[in-house]
Amino acid sequence: MPCKHQLKEENNNRINFNIMNKTIIININGTVFHIEEQAYELLKEYMTDVKRHFFNSADSLEITTDIENRIAEMFTEILAREARQAIIDQDVTAVIEQMGSVKDFENAEEEGSAAGFAEPNFTMGAGATTRRLFRDPEDHLIGGVCAGIANYFDIKAVWVRLFFAVCFLFAGTGAMVYIILWIIVPKALTRADKMAMKGEPLDLQGFKRNFEAEMSTVGGRLNELRQDARPLAFQTRDFISDFFHHLTTFFGGAGKILIKVLGIAIILACIGGSIAIVVLLCATWFFGGDNFSVPDTFFNYAYINQVRVAFALLAIIPLTTLVILISSAVFNTTGLNRSAGYTLLIIWISSLGILLYHGSRVASEFRDSAGFTQTMNLKPTPNQVYYLELNETRFLTHEDSTRLNIKTRFNNMVLTDDDDNDDLEPNSMRIEIERSDVPYPVLVEEFTSRGSNYEEALSNARNTRYVFAQQDSVLKFDYKLRRLDNKMWHGEEVKLTLRIPLNATVMVNDKINRYINNSMNLWDCSPNPENRNNRTFSPFVMTTEGLQCKLDSAVTAVQEPPVQSSNTPDTVIVVQGKRNTKLTPDTIYLDSTEAPAPVRKPVVIRKYRKK
Amino acid sequence: MLVENTQTQMRKGILEYCILCVIAKGEIYASDIIAELKKAQLLVVEGTLYPLLTRLKNNGLLSYNWVESTSGPPRKYYVLSPEGRQVLEQLDKTWQELYFAVQTSIEGRK
Repeated sequence: MPCKHQLKEENNNRINFNIMNKTIIININGTVFHIEEQAYELLKEYMTDVKRHFFNSADSLEITTDIENRIAEMFTEILAREARQAIIDQDVTAVIEQMGSVKDFENAEEEGSAAGFAEPNFTMGAGATTRRLFRDPEDHLIGGVCAGIANYFDIKAVWVRLFFAVCFLFAGTGAMVYIILWIIVPKALTRADKMAMKGEPLDLQGFKRNFEAEMSTVGGRLNELRQDARPLAFQTRDFISDFFHHLTTFFGGAGKILIKVLGIAIILACIGGSIAIVVLLCATWFFGGDNFSVPDTFFNYAYINQVRVAFALLAIIPLTTLVILISSAVFNTTGLNRSAGYTLLIIWISSLGILLYHGSRVASEFRDSAGFTQTMNLKPTPNQVYYLELNETRFLTHEDSTRLNIKTRFNNMVLTDDDDNDDLEPNSMRIEIERSDVPYPVLVEEFTSRGSNYEEALSNARNTRYVFAQQDSVLKFDYKLRRLDNKMWHGEEVKLTLRIPLNATVMVNDKINRYINNSMNLWDCSPNPENRNNRTFSPFVMTTEGLQCKLDSAVTAVQEPPVQSSNTPDTVIVVQGKRNTKLTPDTIYLDSTEAPAPVRKPVVIRKYRKK
Repeated sequence: MLVENTQTQMRKGILEYCILCVIAKGEIYASDIIAELKKAQLLVVEGTLYPLLTRLKNNGLLSYNWVESTSGPPRKYYVLSPEGRQVLEQLDKTWQELYFAVQTSIEGRK
């Protein structure tokens, strides 16, 4: 099939000196003719008519091409027969006569429809004057939805656009509705669609009017006509291609600045994020994570540096790529080339793999669990009253205490752990208070841990130390379980069971109560509710039904634990839990915050005793 | 008006049959088809033929070959497809029936 079927006007006009008429060179499907201007106008008019007549038919391209070919052939024959160079208007008239005018075609088609050969052209005749909703491809800002609606209601498009713009202000409803309409409302592809959209009658007069209107507004849009003659090609254009087409025009137009601003904002955010990640990772690297409220236990993994690098790459590569892509879009520079892109992708996937590997490795170390129990008898007090206290002392290793020069810098001071860390640290200590069968209190310590197998888990559990101290009636519970080596945390826990005899009294304050499983309402059991704080003790007595609040004068009389007056902690410290003392810290700083604020007790430095 | 309508319907009814008959004689160019039809006083203008040919071709009754021409662009030479040949046979039969029907109807009218 010949490729070009339109009349192509070439620029160079020539003068025919014989009759002094201007001639034009035209190209009909590859054959070049010299044609006089008047004849050309006639031919153009005829071909426009013919194309207009057939444009709505599925075979319009083929039919018009056949007709054009035949016309070219007839011209060639005429020129050969009459030995002329240029086509004159008589030739065109003769050709048209032979080919038949559009009126002849119409007659033939009327016969056709009468005989049941109805072409699909004019089947919509009944709905000719009712408007149909189409997207208007000729008057559009984005997708032609607003113009289509305006055509449907026969109002000006600007009002519809204004309405959508206002709707957009209400949480983007306008944009939502617009996109939905864009998808579901068909685009006016053929002239029949466009006419139905504008409510013009679908007869030939209507076509003619519509066509003339188009020709007058957009002079010489033969190009458009050619496009109209290929409805199939247009029908294949789906919403997506349409969307991107309009998106690019939007990019190139009014939205350009907006998009650029948005792009630059995203770039800056990505750069900021990358910097933050690098800083965070470097910081945890150099300071071991201790100073950043992240439980350092998680950073004691043997391959932590690999994990850090992998994590950094995992986070930074997409951000960098995003920065490069957006900057190339915004600043019209060349983006990432293919090989660099693949390299980055491979590095990214490798980092993901490394993270997954270490993740599964760590997870495997939590596969099994083990534990052991240790029981110790406590010294009973004459009045069977026991004060439960939380020991928040910070324990330092020997290296740390010498490095930080603890003895001179923090002389007469107590180092305590900050409460803020509690949320991030594993809650490794719980206390349960039960009734004792023997006339003295008993403390049962149950150590558990996880590991890749039972032995590992048990070894992990043994590699811990829990400090419990009894000072007469004061039972000091360390606030957490401590590891003895620098190993990774494996869910080590200690569960303490304090068994106290019947009728014995435990004094509990808010601080320790957070670690006690027995639900005790300290507020309702406070000796002086107006003046209570989290160090105020509430008395509970052990009954056959368990712990019960016991507010009487006998107990309220002993509000302050006796240790406060003794002030000699170094004589009575009992240190328990001395398993695996290989890496035992040799310095213990004991908390003495129970003392009145101005009077600071000297720091107690005590050699850790081995059993 | 009624007369014209019936006339055009009758003409139209046999037009495709005639076109198929003409093409059945052998490979033929569109303007030669026109010449034949003009001779038979069925069609007067060429332009109406092209939509018909295209439709018959799309229905699989015809096919065409491109043949280079000395005068102008390459020409489409139409031939009947096997399917077209079958359809033509059926139409032949129908035409015989119609002819018989018409002859029987007008017999002894004079």
